[in-house]
Amino acid sequence: MSIELGLVIAYLAICIAVGVIASRRVLTSGDDYWVAGRRIGTVVNATAIMATLASGGSLIGVMGLTYKQGIPATLALFAGAVIGFPLASILVARPLRNFGRYTIADFLGYRYPHTLVRWLVPVLIIVSFTAYIVAQMKAAGITANVLLGIPYETALTLSAIVFILYVSVGGMVAVTWTDVVQGALMLAVVIGTATVMIVDAGSAPKLLAAATEAAPELGRVADKPVSGYLGSFVIWATAIPVIPHIVMRVFAARDAHGARLSLNLAMVAYAVIVLAAVFIVAPAGKMAFPDLEDADAVFLRLMQSEFGPVTRGIAVAAVMAAVMSTTDALLLACSSAIAHDLVRGAWGRELSGRQQSWVSIGSTWLIGGVALYWAFSPPALITQFYTAAIGLLSASLFVPTIAGFWWRRANLAGGVAALTTGALVYLVLALGLPSATISPILIALPASAVAMWIGGRFGRADDASHLTAVEALHHD
Amino acid sequence: MRPNEPLGSSTRMRRADRWYLLGLCTFAVVAFHPAWREPQFANISLFGWLMAALMVLSPMAALALFLRERRGSRRGHEVGSQ
Repeated sequence: MSIELGLVIAYLAICIAVGVIASRRVLTSGDDYWVAGRRIGTVVNATAIMATLASGGSLIGVMGLTYKQGIPATLALFAGAVIGFPLASILVARPLRNFGRYTIADFLGYRYPHTLVRWLVPVLIIVSFTAYIVAQMKAAGITANVLLGIPYETALTLSAIVFILYVSVGGMVAVTWTDVVQGALMLAVVIGTATVMIVDAGSAPKLLAAATEAAPELGRVADKPVSGYLGSFVIWATAIPVIPHIVMRVFAARDAHGARLSLNLAMVAYAVIVLAAVFIVAPAGKMAFPDLEDADAVFLRLMQSEFGPVTRGIAVAAVMAAVMSTTDALLLACSSAIAHDLVRGAWGRELSGRQQSWVSIGSTWLIGGVALYWAFSPPALITQFYTAAIGLLSASLFVPTIAGFWWRRANLAGGVAALTTGALVYLVLALGLPSATISPILIALPASAVAMWIGGRFGRADDASHLTAVEALHHD
Repeated sequence: MRPNEPLGSSTRMRRADRWYLLGLCTFAVVAFHPAWREPQFANISLFGWLMAALMVLSPMAALALFLRERRGSRRGHEVGSQ
């Protein structure tokens, strides 16, 4: 245990140090704090984007989901995330990067200048992302508990403090630097583990054949309606182009071209991690541990049984890396929703660069604290939980964002209607009133689109100069 | 542009991108058809294989399109500067 613990402590200490070093640069400049001065190179940004998306859910949760619901249902969810990248690259990367602000709320507040939009968008982000953070914290907690023997609550608290600390002081610069390391670590551990499993079994087809013989449910589509896994697919496909912590990476790129290429490269790396986890590591874990109570623990149990302390320590660091690389971006997006979008954008309070930094730091600690409190009673399957939370953002933000860029008749009435309709319908259905047999996103997204169409068709057209300015965003 | 005139026609998606999105959507619609649920290959539902194919083909196609666009715009710059 001491070697693993030592490796993890060293890794966490490095993350804090990075945050402190970055803070000297970022605490006086909004551009540096939120979007790292818009100077992030393509490969660095691609690795960071992949790390941002590949969370504890993509490492722990993808294997837990495969274990519990089989390969096909798991791939449906993650395939949605993979194709979300080209959607983002084609639909939003260029115009968003050319828009040149900090957040998706900035764009929506500009495109549909209405008080409701300026208040509602950040609130939706904060609510969804807090739930997302909770799921990540659970991943960190169970990892440290299983592999290091630290009590769940203690592991939770310590890891939460570390990432709240380096995010709050280091902003996007710290997040990017640590994400690059974390992304590389995740890739190495998943591919390394898959390679060892393949060598043990003789070949990948042999491993898969043995696993699906021993556990036929692995290869079957989960016993749930099509709309269940179609809903997960649609949520992630439509979330990636609008989800704030990915959007902030677009703003951090040097230019539109770099933003697009980063997204494409990130997609390749992400697909590699998921496919290796789903086809190799999770089936190996299912064969080795057929009766796990907590499906999310399958990767950790495999690490415990198959590898020595140094590798286990690196694996723990990799899971922490996966959790942190997403949680840091989520925390940053939440704090920007409060400090930049709500305080400055909606409330209209002008803050100096330094004041905004202090508000950002305070917001990060507030959101992190709330999520930590919630994580003491965590959800059952983390990937399903945060997918449902992200569904709220997809349902409310996708249509107004995409229509705002591409539909000629998109106007203020349509934008406000689409935003509120998507959010309301999704919430009502997701909370089970009335109970729906169909996934909420499959109703909420079309409802949002219909609302946009009605508003666009019957509402007042936007000003010509405003439309011209939006059109200009498509050109470099 | 008059006040009530809609957004100009120059906001057009590149044809290659439109075809890519159409291909993606078509593939997804076909893949989610219930007919792929029960049949299996190598003990895994065909639906699962289609999702895996989507995860492999969509990044490759997107990158190829992007690089093609980039080569095209570079050639355009070179010709313009001659």
